[in-house]
Amino acid sequence: MPAGEQSERIGNRIRNPKMTSKTTTNNNENEKKKKKKNEFEFCKVCKLNHNQGLRHKYFPNHNKSLSNFLSRFRNKLTDLRFFLINPKILYPEFASQNRFWCVFCNVDIVELRSSFACANGIRHLASAEHVKNLKHFFWKNGGSVDQLEAFMVSDDDVAKWEKKCAALQNEAVSGSGGCRGAVIGPSSDIHNQPNSGNITSFENVYSDSVKSYPSSNDVLPLQYYTNENQISGLSRVHNAGVLGYNTSVVRLEASCSDENSFALQDFAVDKKSHLSRNKGVLDNGRMLSRESSHHGLQMLTQISSVPAENAGGNIHSGAPPPWFEATEGIQIHSIPVLGGAASHSNMSGKSKKLNPKRVGAAWAERRKIEMEREKRGEAVRNECDPTWLPNFGRVWQSGSRRESRKEFEKEKRKLFNAENQSEIPLKIQPYVSKRMRMEGGGDEVNG
Amino acid sequence: MSYLLTTLLKKHEVDSIIKDTIDKVLVLRFGRASDAVCLQLDQILSKAVRDVSKFATVALVDVDSEDVQVYVKYFDISLIPSTVFFFNAHHMKMDSGTADHTKWIGAFHRKQDFIDVVEAIFRGAMKGKLIVNCPLPPERIPKYQLLYKDV
Repeated sequence: MPAGEQSERIGNRIRNPKMTSKTTTNNNENEKKKKKKNEFEFCKVCKLNHNQGLRHKYFPNHNKSLSNFLSRFRNKLTDLRFFLINPKILYPEFASQNRFWCVFCNVDIVELRSSFACANGIRHLASAEHVKNLKHFFWKNGGSVDQLEAFMVSDDDVAKWEKKCAALQNEAVSGSGGCRGAVIGPSSDIHNQPNSGNITSFENVYSDSVKSYPSSNDVLPLQYYTNENQISGLSRVHNAGVLGYNTSVVRLEASCSDENSFALQDFAVDKKSHLSRNKGVLDNGRMLSRESSHHGLQMLTQISSVPAENAGGNIHSGAPPPWFEATEGIQIHSIPVLGGAASHSNMSGKSKKLNPKRVGAAWAERRKIEMEREKRGEAVRNECDPTWLPNFGRVWQSGSRRESRKEFEKEKRKLFNAENQSEIPLKIQPYVSKRMRMEGGGDEVNG
Repeated sequence: MSYLLTTLLKKHEVDSIIKDTIDKVLVLRFGRASDAVCLQLDQILSKAVRDVSKFATVALVDVDSEDVQVYVKYFDISLIPSTVFFFNAHHMKMDSGTADHTKWIGAFHRKQDFIDVVEAIFRGAMKGKLIVNCPLPPERIPKYQLLYKDV
């Protein structure tokens, strides 16, 4: 039978070339499929290695993981969506918080040198490259087409956003140039809800003074940066861009009589700021402006930034230091700070009580009490007993450590005795033989 | 290098440091400042002393000093450098596959090795163990021959 079949097949092949090619290609495909079956690839969504090839995207588990995956990424983009609608000026301290990893392009989007929040992100999502990667991802992992919209930004949106940005810039420029230190940067941060209340007070306080400032001052400080790392928008009422970065910030006096203090803000945005969001927000959202040099001069060394205290409060004005107000003052604790504090307290709670079963615990407790007493001066520190020896297990030891110590003491005593004995001087006497002794005796007897 | 570490010359100094180190591992190096291997060990100790400062104290004992000879005998120190570990005035032993578990003989290959050893001792001590296993692989443990009663 098989032979017959074979001969038929061969016959077929000869007869119909088209058919043969199909069958051969079919065979090849089968082989390929079989081959594909054996090739393992990694599914980014399920985080699995599988050898199911293209079938994998239809499996229900994969669908579930895909929806999780996409919703997580979508959440990360919510901020970006917000800024697309309401563009805000980006402060370098927050630049590090605006970064995200684009899962479709496998690339990190960092907000370097961008004037507005999530600018780089928005541009990336609108780029052709990203759209291409997005589509490829959807093809590979089988997402529905309507979800595509959520992960990219259309050109219209970008255009609208850019217009708004331009408008913002113009406003900033036309706004009073001054060295008011009132920076309400975090107000653009929608996540810090409790903050906004505190900030508004500042805004009220300063808006008037800031507005009035330029009129009184003949010389306006430079509004624009003239180096490449420019950001626009200095000192507006609400988003006064007095920017610090990386660390040091020198607080500008509210009175701001010195014009040159606010000359130029030069900031290399690629430096990550140590000012955490919490810190920046902590003291009424007032950020410290950094007194940077003029363009062309070297940057001053940065010292660790400490956010300004309350309105006008500092050692010069005699206000109480911030740590006194820690309890009653502004309770702006964002979650990371709370979390940090909680975990720290947990940890300290854990380590406070040492394991009672640890080696030498009893001795340690006794010793601690003794030391306390010595500190207080109750007990006099007894000068070390010259024969005190620590608990030591010897090398060739058998039995408990006390035994080994006893052994040692014994050995010491033996050694000591041996030494003593050797010190007794030996009396050296001449050798008298027995015969001589006998003869001597005999002589006495005889004579 | 070893000027960073306290060197002890008298028995009462050794006693006091043993008695005063509470809930921390005490690392006592017995050796000479002129010996090459001791110097190597001292170098590693001085680099690591800060890193382990939260759970260990390091001190050097000069083995040539008269006063500490009793310790040299008590701890059976015949090869230098020898490092003895204490925790709360109790001596900690470490099984590193060598003949002598009561002390560490020789230097360490890397600073991290030393830190690992001290950490192992600390962890064991905190659990209440008087003898711990050495976390280092055998190739990094210095080998030596131990004499038994001058044989």
